Amino acid sequence: MSEVEAEEKNNEVCVPEKTHFPPCRDACPVNTDIQSYVWLIGEGRYEEALDVIRSVNPIASACSLICHHPCEQQCRRCDVDQPVSIRPLKRFALEQATEYRRKKRRAVPKTRDKSIAVIGSGPSGLTAANDLADLGYGVTIYEKNPDLGGMLSSAIPTYRLSREALKEDIDDVLSKGVESVTDCNIGHDITLEELKEKHDAVLIAVGLAESRSLPIPGVEGPGVLLAIPFLFNAAYNKPTGMGKNVLVIGGGNVAVDVARTALRLGADKVEMVCLESEEEMPAWDWEVEEADDEGVKVHHRWGPKAVRRDGDSVKGLDVVKVTSVFDENGRFSPSFDEENKQLMEADTIIITIGQMSNYDFLKGSNVERDERGLIKWDRETQMSTERGIFVSGEVVTGPGSAIAAAASGHRSARAIHLYLEGQDIAQGLHAVEKARIDKLPQDVAEKVHRVSRNETELLDPKTRCREFVQIEIGYDELTALKEARRCRSCGGGAIVDQNKCMACLTCLRVCPYDAPVVTNVSYISPDRCQACGLCAPECPGRAISMFGYDINSIRREMPSTVGKAEPSRKDPVVVAFMCSRYALDKTVSIPANIRKVQVHCASRIDILDILKAFESGADGISVVMCDSEGCRHPGVAGIVAKRLKQAQGLIGPLGIGSEAISYIRAAEGQDWGKSLTESASKVSVRNK
Amino acid sequence: MKSGSNLEKVLASGNPAVTAELGPPMSASPEEVIHKAKLLKGFCDAANITDCQTAVVRISSIAAAKIALDQGLEPVMQMTCRDRNRIAMQADLLGAAALGLKNCLCIAGDHQSFSAAGRLKGHPGAKNVYDVDSIQLAGILKKMRDEGLQEGGDKIEEAPRFFIGSAWTPGGDPMDYRPYRLKKKVDAGSDFIQTQGIYDVEIFRRQMKKAVELGVTERTAVLGGIIVPRSAMMLKYMDNAVAGVSVPKELIERMAKAKEAAGDDKKKARELQEAEGIKITVELIKQVLDIPGVKGVHIQAIEWESAIEGIVKEAGLYPRPGV
Amino acid sequence: MIVGSQKPLDEIWEMAKGFKKVLVFGCNTCVAICHAGGDKEAQTLASLLRTRAVQEGLDMTVDSMAVQRHCEPEYFEPVMDKVRKYDMVLSTACGVGVNFLSGRIGNVHVYPGINTSFYGAVEAPGVFTELCAGCGDCILHMTGGICPVARCSKTLMNGPCGGTDKGKCEIGKEVDCAWYLIVERMKALGTLEQLAEVRPPRNWSPGTAGGPRRLTIEHLMDMEESEE
Repeated sequence: MSEVEAEEKNNEVCVPEKTHFPPCRDACPVNTDIQSYVWLIGEGRYEEALDVIRSVNPIASACSLICHHPCEQQCRRCDVDQPVSIRPLKRFALEQATEYRRKKRRAVPKTRDKSIAVIGSGPSGLTAANDLADLGYGVTIYEKNPDLGGMLSSAIPTYRLSREALKEDIDDVLSKGVESVTDCNIGHDITLEELKEKHDAVLIAVGLAESRSLPIPGVEGPGVLLAIPFLFNAAYNKPTGMGKNVLVIGGGNVAVDVARTALRLGADKVEMVCLESEEEMPAWDWEVEEADDEGVKVHHRWGPKAVRRDGDSVKGLDVVKVTSVFDENGRFSPSFDEENKQLMEADTIIITIGQMSNYDFLKGSNVERDERGLIKWDRETQMSTERGIFVSGEVVTGPGSAIAAAASGHRSARAIHLYLEGQDIAQGLHAVEKARIDKLPQDVAEKVHRVSRNETELLDPKTRCREFVQIEIGYDELTALKEARRCRSCGGGAIVDQNKCMACLTCLRVCPYDAPVVTNVSYISPDRCQACGLCAPECPGRAISMFGYDINSIRREMPSTVGKAEPSRKDPVVVAFMCSRYALDKTVSIPANIRKVQVHCASRIDILDILKAFESGADGISVVMCDSEGCRHPGVAGIVAKRLKQAQGLIGPLGIGSEAISYIRAAEGQDWGKSLTESASKVSVRNK
Repeated sequence: MKSGSNLEKVLASGNPAVTAELGPPMSASPEEVIHKAKLLKGFCDAANITDCQTAVVRISSIAAAKIALDQGLEPVMQMTCRDRNRIAMQADLLGAAALGLKNCLCIAGDHQSFSAAGRLKGHPGAKNVYDVDSIQLAGILKKMRDEGLQEGGDKIEEAPRFFIGSAWTPGGDPMDYRPYRLKKKVDAGSDFIQTQGIYDVEIFRRQMKKAVELGVTERTAVLGGIIVPRSAMMLKYMDNAVAGVSVPKELIERMAKAKEAAGDDKKKARELQEAEGIKITVELIKQVLDIPGVKGVHIQAIEWESAIEGIVKEAGLYPRPGV
Repeated sequence: MIVGSQKPLDEIWEMAKGFKKVLVFGCNTCVAICHAGGDKEAQTLASLLRTRAVQEGLDMTVDSMAVQRHCEPEYFEPVMDKVRKYDMVLSTACGVGVNFLSGRIGNVHVYPGINTSFYGAVEAPGVFTELCAGCGDCILHMTGGICPVARCSKTLMNGPCGGTDKGKCEIGKEVDCAWYLIVERMKALGTLEQLAEVRPPRNWSPGTAGGPRRLTIEHLMDMEESEE
């Protein structure tokens, strides 16, 4: 054993903290480290992927099904071909790691003697409860519905977010020791005052749980429904009051949910009418497309004038043509052509034009409302006008996505913690901005390996629209691996320790993407680096490490990878470095004398890793890598071949023949397992 | 007279001069030198005594030259820059002059890596000197002779009076620069020039024209170098492997034909090729002597000193002038 | 920069085999640029030696470490305590580093892991050529920037000799004849006539022939003691 442990230092864990947010991470309201988890999925490491996801997202399963994925819209592959399917990959990882996830659940010890009341169990409430529990506080959730989840359980239809999936999120939170009281309406079953007495802080996270109605003639009476109650009743199998011929007023996502729910409840015909044109419609494109496939027709640019009744029954909706929705300043200010009108026939009209909250429960408290009627709050502290009462989510931000509400919940939890610790909240909440990775440069985009996006499959629209079954069929493993490998690992690439760099220009010469900028030291541009991994093993000063993985891990684990090499062995012990495309291929079986080392790409194979294999007792090494056609990065196969030749030269003086080092450039359809076994059989067993 | 050497006198008389070459043995016995000197005596005006040619250890040029001198053959000692620094050079030159040597050829000398060739191990790892180059060496001899001074400036009691020679490779590249470099050698003090082996007379003719234009041939005596070919293989080797020597195809073909005419008879093949070689040599001598500015020939019959008599007679250069 | 290459493993093994605790000590400047002795090469060598030790059944510890430079004490002094704990330091720095460390380390063997060869430049990636001999009396202004001391096998001052063959030196086809290059360049620059002058014998004493050299720069000396 060395006194100085210099060698251990050489093999220390080396994963530098990321310096830049790629556009996907930046777009995510909770700054999920997407590059990390997609990478891990591509490496078959689903449990670790789950940990990355859940470290910032307590409503991960919900998001994996219903998030509007702003990350995908910003994915830098948009400048190449199509974005990476981040959301379905997230779903895949979570589902794969379900057992692991459930085993991890355990109560968090309450190390603090303070407790918090969280009103509302939607995304922001659940998130805040999760965070505060992690900090050791006692948390009690007060939810007015029979189940936890807020809109996630009562308004989002189960054909988009299944009960089972949501349950995983909720169980994660509850298992920490968070208490919950359901069917509890604040202001009725318990007052705000009582909560303030019971707990040390209160968080109002009630969301916008009420539907707005339209002040038009004929709205009162049967046959005209509001969105939220309709969806709630559908969720709880209660009568909805829906007829056969449904017309949904609205152009947002909830309107689409309402329309498609109506179909599944058995309506003969479901149509939508909205002020907006097709381009202006606020609902997500893919939702509108799915609705269209299911047979929902949308009437664009019509404004509701009155509900036409015949006695109590609804006959239809009188509408007028909309000439424009937004004024010159882009403000919502619809104008109409009163001469152009028609009657749209329907027996049920469902109004889905927006949501609001009920503020009755604030009566008698010091929680004030602003001129628009919303709760007055300080954005810097997440606090309302009453000390110790905090707010988060849509009730203060206005309508937004689930994940944005979760981000708000994170902030509030931090604010509450700072408050209870007596620290300055505004200062404590202030976040340091990370640098952002820019657009993908044109010349780099041209070199990106072209692989079409693997779309997820949906159930047949003709049959799915009649039942409340999750319509998306998740990825199978092979497809998930393929899709994950489309990610270009923005922000997960190389970084130079400028104290060690002496500007020898080796990294510049080996990089296929011209990422290093070398002056008196090298700086690897995060905008250009594609994390191929070629540079780190080439640097003569060992100055380069990778954000996305530990460059020393293979070496550190080599002794256990090689394991015991029996002196009397007949078969040589061969360490095979395999690109994960091959390492994760379950259809190929590799004999036991071949020890697998999985690499994201052959590019990261270091001479030192190879020598460590021999040092640890291996008889030989082999490399299974993609040929030039299949490799994600240009030039890798050639450079790795040169490295292996160099390695052959190094082991020669040890009396080890060059057949101890071999490689296979696997082409599509090639029986690489056979080639590998053949190469391995040519390796001689080394004498002890 | 600068040196009073036989070579100098013959050149001064206006007769074409003939120099030959004697290669010393790898031996401590003077016998072979004596034998070779006897072969050459009378058939040349002076004979070069090579100085560890191709960096191979043989009897030193000065010692072999003295032995030759004692046999009545006037030597041209050679001094390379490879093995001695300026101190040893000047000491050896003083000694050589004291022993009666009068002609000295100043050359750079082949790199020591050449000594390990064929069956020889040589001394490729020896530290070469090259304290001064061949042109500077000519300058040193001139300074010693004409100023009575050492290179460093100290006086010499009795100045060594050498006839100073330099080598020239007219066909070496860059070819257009070679006449200018020849001028530098003459500026430095070269009294006579011996060229590298000529086979392509046209190239030599062109270079000589340039030399004449530069006024060089009035100040120095150019002796055209003729290497006596012994076989087709030797000619091919010279063409391929010796820097600055190019052999016209016709000459190689002539030698090849001579070899073929002998069929399988190896002895006859050698005889025929040697005969053709001598024929070619005589032709070259005549052509070279015809070129304006050329004052003689330097005939090299490598390890074939016995051929000189026949060549000189055939070329009509016998007897040598007694001056 | 200084260019060298690692000694053959067998030769290094002969040096190392008698010791129990060896430190391969790399340098991350010149020898890293020519991939002979940087941190990576030091680790490579250490790994090979460890494997060899196992092959020979020798109980030997071989570690590796590297610092930015071995020619400036501030870079290696901070680790000297660690370094001294070894029986032998196998330096993969250039000869300067081996000498310098030997002079400061005390009673620890410092052996050379590389053969230091020349001052050179990167002609192309992976190709290093000798361009300077450190002769101490530069005459490149008289030879078109091409050095006859470093690049002429006979250090001629009035070259070329008769050994030039198609622009290459008589010692080998891969070696350019420096004087061929000089003549061609000066021809192109229009300064060829400067070569007409016979250069006299050179004073070699500013170079290695004059003995080991030393440079002092007054204003850089004894800086801690300066008043101002």
